[in-house]
Amino acid sequence: MDAPTEQLTLSTRLAVNGDLPPWAAALACALVLVSLGVLVVHELRRRERGGLAIVASGVLALLALLLAVVRPVRIAARESVIGAKVVVLSDTSRSMALPQDGKTTRGDVGARALADLAKGSKDARLLVLGFGDGPPAPIAAKEGEKTVPAAPRSDLTAALRTLASSAEEKPQAVVVVSDGRLDDPAEDASPENLAALGKELKVPIHTIATTRQGPPDASVRRVSAAGAAVAHVPLPLRVEVGCSGGLSCDELTVTARELREDGPPALLATGLSHLKDGKGTVDLSVTLERAGARILEIAITPPSGDTIPENDRRLLTFVVARERVRVLHVAGRPTNDVRALRQWLKSDASVDVVAFFILRTQSDNPNARPEDLSLIPFPVDELFTEHLPSFDAVVLQDFDAQPYGLEKHLPQLARYVRSGGGLIMVGGQNSFIAGGYAGTPLAEVLPVSLDHSPGATAADVAPVTPTWTEDGRAAPLLAPLRDVASEELPQMPGTNILGDVRAGGLVLWSHPTRTTKSGAPMPILAIGDQGDGRSIALGIDGAWQLEFSQLGARTSGRGYGAMWDGLLGWLMRDPRFEPGQLDLTAPCVAGEPARVRVRAPDGRDASGEPREMVVEVRRLDARPGESGAEPLKVEVPKRAPGATGTVEVTLPPLPAGGYTARLKLGPGPTTRRDFACEAGGDEWADSRPDADRLRALAAATGGTFRWATDDRALPLPEPAVVSAERHVVPLAPPWSWTLAAAVLLGAHWFTRRRSGLS
Amino acid sequence: MRRTLFCFFPFAFALGVLVFFLPRPARAFGDVGAFDPRALLAGGTTGPARASAAGRWSWELVQRTSAPARLKPSQIRADDPGVVDGPFLWWSGDSAVTALTPQEISGLRRFFALGGILLVDDAGASEDAGDGRGGASAFGKSARQQIARVLPDSSPIALGPDHVLFKSFYLLKRAEGRVAGPRTLDAVVRGGQTQVVFSSHDLGGALARGATGVWENPVVPGGDIQRERAIRLAVNIAMYVLCSNYKDDQVHAPFLMRRRAGALVP
Repeated sequence: MDAPTEQLTLSTRLAVNGDLPPWAAALACALVLVSLGVLVVHELRRRERGGLAIVASGVLALLALLLAVVRPVRIAARESVIGAKVVVLSDTSRSMALPQDGKTTRGDVGARALADLAKGSKDARLLVLGFGDGPPAPIAAKEGEKTVPAAPRSDLTAALRTLASSAEEKPQAVVVVSDGRLDDPAEDASPENLAALGKELKVPIHTIATTRQGPPDASVRRVSAAGAAVAHVPLPLRVEVGCSGGLSCDELTVTARELREDGPPALLATGLSHLKDGKGTVDLSVTLERAGARILEIAITPPSGDTIPENDRRLLTFVVARERVRVLHVAGRPTNDVRALRQWLKSDASVDVVAFFILRTQSDNPNARPEDLSLIPFPVDELFTEHLPSFDAVVLQDFDAQPYGLEKHLPQLARYVRSGGGLIMVGGQNSFIAGGYAGTPLAEVLPVSLDHSPGATAADVAPVTPTWTEDGRAAPLLAPLRDVASEELPQMPGTNILGDVRAGGLVLWSHPTRTTKSGAPMPILAIGDQGDGRSIALGIDGAWQLEFSQLGARTSGRGYGAMWDGLLGWLMRDPRFEPGQLDLTAPCVAGEPARVRVRAPDGRDASGEPREMVVEVRRLDARPGESGAEPLKVEVPKRAPGATGTVEVTLPPLPAGGYTARLKLGPGPTTRRDFACEAGGDEWADSRPDADRLRALAAATGGTFRWATDDRALPLPEPAVVSAERHVVPLAPPWSWTLAAAVLLGAHWFTRRRSGLS
Repeated sequence: MRRTLFCFFPFAFALGVLVFFLPRPARAFGDVGAFDPRALLAGGTTGPARASAAGRWSWELVQRTSAPARLKPSQIRADDPGVVDGPFLWWSGDSAVTALTPQEISGLRRFFALGGILLVDDAGASEDAGDGRGGASAFGKSARQQIARVLPDSSPIALGPDHVLFKSFYLLKRAEGRVAGPRTLDAVVRGGQTQVVFSSHDLGGALARGATGVWENPVVPGGDIQRERAIRLAVNIAMYVLCSNYKDDQVHAPFLMRRRAGALVP
């Protein structure tokens, strides 16, 4: 709101001639005054005849002489009274949306203060700007018009610096309307730092506090992590909690839980914070097992009387990095394929492989005592219960589940995959159907179905060269292999029998002749999403020939590594192998539309039409029947043929919670991004107002502090007067002034002569 | 008796039906991925010195371990493009080899570039171990010279019982074959991987067994016990080919240390 206070008035006044410098006019006046003094004192003291006439004529002559010098003019002008520019910075952060006195909000009180300030400052030009995150921006402050404070921060320092560096007219005063809960200047800012804010602008900063008393509230005020989050590595968290507004709490229980798609939130840590003076801290250590964006809920159990439940929990997005990929490699027997995979895994410094190979079965006779063998027991129970979560991926290669007691752990292994783990089943005579996996919970998380009917065929031992599917040619995870070996593949000694690809799966290689029950080409290499995790089915055990073969020799054996680089990378959601990218343009705020940036190739389906792209949003922490429990689908606008780059999609307002967004490109696996939507975020974490900070700011910069609910009269600067349409008219022509001075000087001389003076 | 048989018949029938309808195990996808002690033909050799040894080697491997192996191993010439079709070659001889042709050197270099492993088995090795090479024959000496031409940037080093070759399946304290020879094996190690293993023990001689089931060569000086240890070394080499340095993984270390401490086998 810019409040112009211009008042145009017509004024007339006398002045000396414009060609006379002010100092000359002043000198002339001084000389006349001195002459008059001398004349009066000297002539009246003589008390002789004609003295009074001499003085009178002398005074007239001097005045005429003065007028001849200054030659007065009449100035007629239109004048404007312009109010001083005053910038009003109104806090638009979300903390201003906190309730106050039950019915209104801090923002409402601030809006009323702005309106009253505008009414009571008619002589000033008020420019009302909202400050929050970054430079201040104009806001509507008309009476009756309601604005919703939505800024994620309250950075007053940035706003003042923007004003100071602006090329526009500098304000003569600044008024800040806020609850005082500012991000910058900080709570512990020194008076010198506060004074420095005003020095840049060289104006006083007046402050108006909207809120005297905070609501009864217990909250998670701050969560800080010591360093970056790394998968499998304990991450220390310091949680600051507080009670205010008359709420009494001596201790608060703090819990840290990870929101997961496959089930209820997983409790990672809990602690008890003892509060002193209304605040306390607790240190927690959490270990996140899965890399990528993960949502952590830090919550307290609030005492009764808490009036702001929204800040009883914080939903934080941790982007978990992966130091090394931990892979559990289990092989049923040593073969060339096992050798090749082990050597590739061991050659990659970023992979930490734990391997268990079955080197002897019950039917083998090593002809030696146990102590002569280097064999160790296969710790199946330990591996698949205690240590399973610590692995990023599990590779089951030619491994029969039945003889080694893995069957009883298959439900656990399936849960591991659905909760974010990776699974690769590699073919061989003991894999898939032959390994006893058909009809088990693990089969449910494979990207292909397995026939578990009696007499199901387990393998086709006819030599075969896999055929690339269209999806295989387009899949980024096989791009490295195509770069090395084009689409040439070695002949495989046979394949495991795999069924149709499941929903959400994709077939990359298929059998050239064999079909599934549905009539589709039988998958040989298939990938798929399984809940939070991913799985791969590779129904051959001859991939090692990408290394040792004529093809391998031509490609220096790089094809094998390129294939596994893509497979494991895709399993670990390496962005290089994702079909698309999904990002939020800004943090999600509950109740407000969120924008999602989609990067995806210009995919086409079989008919040449642009492939359908859908962003599916699912709530991670919804209880059945709760708002947001149902997945939400938003179609991505189709781009023009050949168009590349990004597309932005607007999501409808979401309630507070953790979410997973999946970009679905056709029927295949999805690209995933987890995010959190908070109602108040940092701004609501500490609901206490901070009038003391505003008072200190005003005192440090020469301003005045006022309460919004009291008299808000501020000592604003006086307005300035500006003249316009100036007309200068001489009172008389110059010669007339000169003539009058000459006549009166002559008359004075005559009077003096008659009195006998020279 | 007949009544008893009648009682069992329904159970036997049900069992038969059950067995019939059980998922059929996959037949092996051929033996392409199995251990194949391919005999290398190079430097004028026309066949392995111990012709029956390779088949016996595979047989012993299959009987003793879970590893599959080709019971009818193949032979390949060093200058054949197919030399790169598998990760293992066995070069056995008992007389001096001629200088490798450029084509043979090229073929072997391509094999090694892919990470292949070559066992040079000196079938002519004598019992005399006095020269430090275990009585290496003309084959052993000439083969080393030719390998030095193929891999000029690498020199053989001795592999003691701490090397994974001596614990890849059996816990062994020394190398032995038809002859006791030196306690160690020599090897060319490139990029951390053992690529050429030189045996001066005539490993094939200990393995060779005729069609009648008679061992072809006496094992000296230890007799059948030494032969058993030679077979175990052959099994270990095969397991090393298939599992690489699996037994060097940290997870095995405490077990192997305890077993080593209590092992009685010399």
